[in-house]
Amino acid sequence: MKIEILEKEGEDKLSFVVRGISPQFANSIRRAMIAEVPVMAIDDVYIIENTSVMYDEVLAHRLGLIPLKTDLDSYVLPEECECKSETGCSRCSAILVLDVEGTGEGVTTVYSGDLKPHESNPDVKPVSDKIPIVKLAPGQRIRLEAYARLGTGKKHAKWSPVTRCVYKYYPVVEVDESRCDGCGICVDVCHRDVFEVRDGKAYVKNQLRCDLCGECVSRCPHDALKAEWEKNSLIFFVETTGALPAWRVVVEAFRVLAKKCEIFLSQLGELGVV
Amino acid sequence: MGIVPVRCFTCGSVIGDKWEEFKRRVKAGEDPEKVLDDLGVKRYCCRSMLISHVEVIDDILEYFVVKGRVKRE
Repeated sequence: MKIEILEKEGEDKLSFVVRGISPQFANSIRRAMIAEVPVMAIDDVYIIENTSVMYDEVLAHRLGLIPLKTDLDSYVLPEECECKSETGCSRCSAILVLDVEGTGEGVTTVYSGDLKPHESNPDVKPVSDKIPIVKLAPGQRIRLEAYARLGTGKKHAKWSPVTRCVYKYYPVVEVDESRCDGCGICVDVCHRDVFEVRDGKAYVKNQLRCDLCGECVSRCPHDALKAEWEKNSLIFFVETTGALPAWRVVVEAFRVLAKKCEIFLSQLGELGVV
Repeated sequence: MGIVPVRCFTCGSVIGDKWEEFKRRVKAGEDPEKVLDDLGVKRYCCRSMLISHVEVIDDILEYFVVKGRVKRE
């Protein structure tokens, strides 16, 4: 297996080519990234006061969807924590407090930045400070305590660390120069901007953008195009919510898979098969 | 929707924090397409979230703002 980084945009976006990987294996990694890598999200919300126009459950739902910066090394999943308590301990839950009152004459917007982490967990805070949670008229007030916990995407999408997490075949687009007369139909027809015409011939300028729709091949009047894919080569695109860096999500997905394989093997061992 | 959604319904990336800048700049006469590009909202699922959003909570809150003013007077 050979891996090559294609593009890295900040911490949150990563794309890479993997050669020598089967689609089945790639898919299990993709699914592990989406549904099995744990991140922090607000889970229980204790609402002390809410005189806003928003219902308690809608408010709690919005709070849950705010991605939180996750420190995977210091927290454990509640079901794996030794404390076994309902509210959790400092190893398995973090507390955030929201206390805002509408002031002045107009409307006060409550932002995710108003969610204050408890002093025992100063690093568990929203990824962005500017997400509007609710708006308050003068005199309306919200006071609540929110418990953030680790969880996985298979239980609720708010615990999924990724947004766009996909792979595609590695495209190989070829122009047969002896047949091409530079008519430019492929340039017009391609919605991924793969081709360009230079000196009366079509050339491939953005091969990796091709999504193998085959439109260029079927519309080329001279039968000069070929759009195929490299066997067992895939391009991954991973974009996170900001809770974890993209590389960390990939690494953790492998850890999840490795752990599952270990469990499987030990079960086989118990049965006396291995 | 009452208030801008926190995340894109389709892909789940956060778009709530981009709404206020989007609204302000479009109101100032900028081309929505350009503003979305500037904000880094690339996919059409996320773009549709901002383009099609109507902040209804502002209309509702007007009543409460007036109610509070009347009460104080």
